[in-house]
Amino acid sequence: MSKKRERDEYLEQLWYMKEKEDDSIESLKSSMDINYDRDVIEELVFEDMVELKEGAKKITLTEKGEDYARQLIRAHRLAERLLNDVLGGDYESGACEFEHTVTPELVDSICILLGHPRTCPHGMPIPEGQCCRRSSRTAQSSVIPLVELAIGQSARVAYINCKSDQQLHKIDSLCIRPGAVVTLHQRYPTYVIECEGSNIAMDEEIVSNICVWRKPEQSQEDGKETLTEPGRKGRDRFRHRRAGRK
Amino acid sequence: MSEKEKIQRADSGSSRSVKKIAIVGLPNTGKSQVFNNLTGEYTLVANYPLTTVEMKRTGCEINGEQYEVIDTPGLHCLYIHSEEELIVRDMIFKEAPDIIIQCIDANQLKQSLTLTADLLELGFPMVITLNAVDETARAGVWIDSNVLSGILDVPVVESVAVNGFGIKELKSVISRARRGRIALHYDEIVEDGISAIESELPAEMSFKRKVAILLLLADPFLVDYLREKYGQEMISRLQKEVGRLRGKFRGDFGLAINKKRSQWVAETAEKATKKQKMAPGKFSKAFGRLSRHPVFGIPILAFFLVTTFLLVTHVAGFLDKILSVVLLDPTVGYITRLLPSGFWNEFLVGDYGILTLGLFNAIVTILPILSVFFLMFGFLEDIGYIPNLCVLTKRIFARIGLTGKSIMPLVLGFGCKTMATLTTRGLQSRKEKFIAIYLIAFALPCSAQMGVDMAIFGRIGFKAFMIGYGSLVLIELCAGLVLNKIIKDEEKSDFIQELPAIRVPSPKAIATKTYYRLYWFLKEAIPIFLIAAAALFLLDKTGILDLTKMLMRPIVEDWLGLPRDILDVLILAIARHEAAAGLTLKMVDAGALNYVQCIVTVVITTMFVPCFANVVAMCKQLGIKTGLAMAFAINISAFFLAGILNWILVFTIGR
Repeated sequence: MSKKRERDEYLEQLWYMKEKEDDSIESLKSSMDINYDRDVIEELVFEDMVELKEGAKKITLTEKGEDYARQLIRAHRLAERLLNDVLGGDYESGACEFEHTVTPELVDSICILLGHPRTCPHGMPIPEGQCCRRSSRTAQSSVIPLVELAIGQSARVAYINCKSDQQLHKIDSLCIRPGAVVTLHQRYPTYVIECEGSNIAMDEEIVSNICVWRKPEQSQEDGKETLTEPGRKGRDRFRHRRAGRK
Repeated sequence: MSEKEKIQRADSGSSRSVKKIAIVGLPNTGKSQVFNNLTGEYTLVANYPLTTVEMKRTGCEINGEQYEVIDTPGLHCLYIHSEEELIVRDMIFKEAPDIIIQCIDANQLKQSLTLTADLLELGFPMVITLNAVDETARAGVWIDSNVLSGILDVPVVESVAVNGFGIKELKSVISRARRGRIALHYDEIVEDGISAIESELPAEMSFKRKVAILLLLADPFLVDYLREKYGQEMISRLQKEVGRLRGKFRGDFGLAINKKRSQWVAETAEKATKKQKMAPGKFSKAFGRLSRHPVFGIPILAFFLVTTFLLVTHVAGFLDKILSVVLLDPTVGYITRLLPSGFWNEFLVGDYGILTLGLFNAIVTILPILSVFFLMFGFLEDIGYIPNLCVLTKRIFARIGLTGKSIMPLVLGFGCKTMATLTTRGLQSRKEKFIAIYLIAFALPCSAQMGVDMAIFGRIGFKAFMIGYGSLVLIELCAGLVLNKIIKDEEKSDFIQELPAIRVPSPKAIATKTYYRLYWFLKEAIPIFLIAAAALFLLDKTGILDLTKMLMRPIVEDWLGLPRDILDVLILAIARHEAAAGLTLKMVDAGALNYVQCIVTVVITTMFVPCFANVVAMCKQLGIKTGLAMAFAINISAFFLAGILNWILVFTIGR
């Protein structure tokens, strides 16, 4: 493991801990497990990325460290979105390495492409980037919220932003999941969408969390053909990659 | 109406030798219909979700063997979303039925297979009944039940439950129920996690694998259940283990597990389904879309309302006349000839006679109205029209603080208020639950009430119907606004409501349903009608009635602007709303009520005292104290608001 990667892993771990409002060095030790290395911490302190408190019992990110970690987390979670839902691949192995190699500009491009997703597939928030605040939408943006479809138009689900596990399961149990074809039937007084032969009425809030591929499907049959293609490709590529590593 | 009691009445002479069959499936897949077909009993069925909110059990004989059959509310999968679903899962875990019949709506094969996967993982002997195959056939979809049966390794029977097709086949395969087979292996790391948790679970526990999976998915209800059963220490240990596993696995267990299952579902469904290239255009689909369209939906609703109104007014009026001529008049004449006057004449056929006000009120006046109304209402229920109303009314409900799950119960309130009150159990937000229960009990007419209201308005014209029901809607909205203001806000619940497909209803099913509703009405209401008439007679004879009328005069005559005899109606309303309406009809016919008085009477009797079963349901949901307080508040508001309406009407249209 390169020095940079090792440091990045620590900073990411500290971000996760911050999300859980945990700042004890013990937790950091236990989650890094055998990879725990005192030297890395000292190095990070020296670079003013982290701060040790209460006689080295507590550890927190400094402002500089936080900015740096935010970039990493953002890239990591966006990559998960891209690989998991959109390409249908095995995200963990890919995403882990992804954030250490990309530039912020590339991360923003992916974010725009995906229509500024707010959460990763696990439901954790994706930190906002410049592009989200400007809510940039270039012509190439191919994933849009379901609410933006025209009435009667069908599209394939790319991914779903969900506020809770419960909600995700509920939506999943109605077969609304990445890859499914949904049709928007009605917008007012409330949204009605069709998925797998059943009509479902729902709030705007939930519909806007469902993101779909922009390209309209000619018919359901054709939609299913193209639907599996990118996913399959993605999966195969990763299978191949993993095999190569072993 | 207390159809609820009918549905709840659960008598099971369960001894160990009797095998248990549980009927489970997604909402609105025909479980209750299969239950009725199997057992020969009757539970209320309709084409929308939430028709069954409680378990129903009964014993029956199938192919010479005794079984106990359990009908259940809808279940999506074993990861729980609502309280109804929780009851079903608890039943499955605790009672471990010997056989599970899963109802699958052939239109929604994929959605159902998710549940199938869960049930197969539990390892119960199963039979699958593939329902509504006539509809998929018409839509150009063909599901090969043999292929499905081959993949799952359990018997699959095709059926059209509403018509009773396929029930013989179902009975014949019940003894061949099998554990089935499912090739669902998760990734290594997930499997390791599952076995790690399994090993922590108590040895005697059943369904360890599924429990472990649900714990990994952080099922909140399951944790509570286990805490109750095995204590906090056990839970802390498990949660620590789950936490450790979650930390170790950088992915999300929920996603990993769901994804594997979805793949299995998609593959299985694809293998079993064949589609024609061209699906015939469907009138019913278009109708469904129109009926919830913001512009076209309203004329459709108005059409149904007016049709029902006209049918109730004219057809029921006609039946009423016939019954009067052949039944009422000859009997009264005969009794009067036999007992020209005196106590017995008055007791039987006087103003408060047990026959005139009791028996004939129920049979001659109310029964024709309810027959016509229930036929129409059953038709609307079975084509699946009613849930579409929750789309039309969504915005209005949002204004009064009802955002998500509480809309459907309110819409169901037009059927039976008691059942609707029970469906609020699934609401997590206390505020929404409170508002929903209040509004259901308040100015919302239940189906029987609406039927008789229409008959009363039918005597004085459609305009009165618009004024009366318009006022009720207005009152209901104001009550909602006020409650929404005074109760503090909580987190909004999500609104995700499946809408049933519009179906061509089976006349036989509607006839059966109407028959049972009328049968329940007669069986339940006639004794109450008789007792109420006798009580009024007694009050009248002892002079208490006159005294009360005199005391209530300022309220009844001055505030409400009604004749003092309306107190009889209000007293009857305490017993049964239909009885009160019957008497009102009689007063209208006798010319005792003018136009405005007629409207005010209908409005006050619709709001005044929610029926007994409804009050019981309110107490059950909110606690006795709150429930009774709410009933009291409703009565006070009923008098207050009806008075205001009276004065507005007097000043606008005059007496």
